Amino acid sequence: MDEGLARRLGAQNARFREEGVYKRLNHLEGPQGVRVRMEGRGEVLVLSSNNYLGLASHPEVVAGAKAALDRYGAGTASVRFICGTLAIHRELEGALARFVGAAASLTYVSCWNANEGLPASILDEEDVVISDALNHASIIDSVRLCRAQRRVYSHSDMVALREALRETRTFRTRLVVTDGVFSMDGDTARLPDILDLAREHDAVVWVDDSHATGVLGPGGRGTAEHHGMLGQVDLVTSTLGKALGGAAGGFTAGPEEVVDYLVQRSRPQLFSNALPPAVAGGALAALRWIEAHPEAVARLHGNTRYFRERLLEIGFRPMEGDTPIVPILLGETSKAILCSEKLLDRGVFVTGFGYPVVPQGTARVRCQISAAHTREDLDFACDAFRRVGVELGLL
Amino acid sequence: MAYPGAAREAFAREIESIRGQGLFKEERFIHSPQSSGILVEYPSGEAPRKVLNLCSNNYLGLSSHPEVIAAAHRGLDERGYGMSSVRFICGTQDLHRDLESAITSFLGTEDTILFPSCMDANAGVFEAVLGPEDVIISDRLVHASIIDGIRLCKAVQDSYKHADMGHLESKLEEHQDKRIRLIVTDGVFSMDGDLAPLDRICELAEKHGAMVFVDDSHASGFIGKTGRGTHEHFGVLGKIDIITTTLGKGLGGASGGCVSGRKEIVELCRQRARPYLFSNAVPPPIACAALKVLEILSRTTERRDKLEENTKFWRKAIREAGFVIKDGESPIVPIMLFNAKLSQDVARDLFREGVYVVGFFFPVVPAGQARIRTQMSADHDIPELEKAVEAFRRVGEKYGILGLDKKGIVARYGN
Repeated sequence: MDEGLARRLGAQNARFREEGVYKRLNHLEGPQGVRVRMEGRGEVLVLSSNNYLGLASHPEVVAGAKAALDRYGAGTASVRFICGTLAIHRELEGALARFVGAAASLTYVSCWNANEGLPASILDEEDVVISDALNHASIIDSVRLCRAQRRVYSHSDMVALREALRETRTFRTRLVVTDGVFSMDGDTARLPDILDLAREHDAVVWVDDSHATGVLGPGGRGTAEHHGMLGQVDLVTSTLGKALGGAAGGFTAGPEEVVDYLVQRSRPQLFSNALPPAVAGGALAALRWIEAHPEAVARLHGNTRYFRERLLEIGFRPMEGDTPIVPILLGETSKAILCSEKLLDRGVFVTGFGYPVVPQGTARVRCQISAAHTREDLDFACDAFRRVGVELGLL
Repeated sequence: MAYPGAAREAFAREIESIRGQGLFKEERFIHSPQSSGILVEYPSGEAPRKVLNLCSNNYLGLSSHPEVIAAAHRGLDERGYGMSSVRFICGTQDLHRDLESAITSFLGTEDTILFPSCMDANAGVFEAVLGPEDVIISDRLVHASIIDGIRLCKAVQDSYKHADMGHLESKLEEHQDKRIRLIVTDGVFSMDGDLAPLDRICELAEKHGAMVFVDDSHASGFIGKTGRGTHEHFGVLGKIDIITTTLGKGLGGASGGCVSGRKEIVELCRQRARPYLFSNAVPPPIACAALKVLEILSRTTERRDKLEENTKFWRKAIREAGFVIKDGESPIVPIMLFNAKLSQDVARDLFREGVYVVGFFFPVVPAGQARIRTQMSADHDIPELEKAVEAFRRVGEKYGILGLDKKGIVARYGN
């Protein structure tokens, strides 16, 4: 290999280390859960997974995965349209569509791929995507892969969105896209306003509900249910990799025509494998479990309120919101990483985020609450936060 | 609901037009594990029928191997269903490290990083490693996921005619001023089944100070004497700077992919590759199953040897039956029909004969190059393949295409 490249990249990695922004992987020695065994650390309390309902290692979900594994084997070794469509895919997709209030849905191996495959398939040069400035990286890349024009409106700014809709009147299809819950800030899209504006301007609305499916609304059906608007969003993409069991996979839900069209043309659908049977079986079990246990969603909401209140009492100022994503802004990336290391020393696993995951100067630790946390767990975490806050002068 | 009538009608019209051309992709629901004989419900709602499967990427027959399934069970029991996290937050298990090092030793590279799919590996690697001062020179038939990955990267983009070494060399000369020149190719081309001449590509790379990238998705596990891949086949183990490959085909067939190669490149992907940073870790049952697959393949070459025998038999028999196939030695054997509708009709009739194949047409292959892509598996046996040849012969006769060359078929059906 060209020696120059190895040297350049080696030096870059060394610089990440010096700047205190190097990502070190922490190895877990057991299943994902509220408490995990971490190599070199022993047992730690997890406040950084997307395991919002505690289903990642739930016995019913594991049993669903095993049943599918026994019935359908380890993998399809095929994309969907060749010989990779299993009867369980149809069952799962029907259930997902009903759950999020859509007519049909189509699964992908990740929500990253569901997003990547959506605008590039359904839009071209005559169309425009109008996107919230803080949308997830996968939406940004999906728009980069698409021929449509793009407009970005400042985060949740309805005046800017209205302006963008006015300016793009001449386009054939206008697609407004927003995260349902913004992953790094934990705030919720202003869906009622967005839908009003879209109706007024004859635009299509796409919501990525990855951090909301299984989380928001009394039944965990997502941002639309939270706002009492289930069934009113045109296109929903979401993941099976967070609240719905947390393994992998994502989906696009919407009208029959759109889903049918994605089967024909969506590149990650045509060129990547079908969801593995075990993953499909686990997700289906997770979905059924959530439908049968709305009290778990209520517990998640209760835990979130409790944790936010306790942090305020201690003297932290978490970013406002009503989702289980509770970020605390710390400014510099190295400070966020130091804070998360000190918390880990006290047995609490919270990750610090810096650039490029969040904008420069807005580094933060992001706490994520789960229905599986007990009040004792949350008290334990708050105690660690208090001590570290004192030590680093953050309160 | 805001979904405007105009958008709905536009989509519905386009679907109708696809249907009208006889090119509508219909999903066929499978009620059994992936293997040589599968239970297929088609059309939707009919009672499932057992058919011979000639179109999966289950090259080594490991998708429903009992040891692999048992390993996935163990993964679920010991490590749970999912990680609900990306790798760098709280999604890394020791399992992932074990799998990455097992892949590294299997492929003979320096280091490996897992992605949720090989599509994601290809989408992420170029942007993470190259900048505007670099150039990517890719074979014109590389996989769609590489094309998308290159589109996401800021490097200068150029290409060479499929497997044309003279053209590649002229491109390398043309781009001498760039900081890094990366040659990009599939190891085995998925639609044609031919192999990239990696020995000559590596020579050119050395001569011109370029690097080499190979997507070995249709090779890992079975091409080369011990199944390491196209680089083993051409005697250039250790010389490929970046290999991407999938766990979703020969290596078990569930899902997952990786970038394997120079350790600095792998490290930089960990720091910067977007689908790695922003998408979940490979789920524990999938990781455990993949580890078992690599263990089986390191133990014996029995499966890849059987696959090679089946491939030789099939290539000879189907040609003797009077079909046009693409030359090559990989288990991907494309039977050329040129016309898109003919490919759909022949596939439908073969299904009635109990043989499951799929006709491919634009945009998956170039327009006028429609084909039925047959794929061999170590799960097939010779008597099954003999029956399949008979079915192909009967259907070929019905359409009057046996013994016709490209010109003859196109004269009759158009392209």
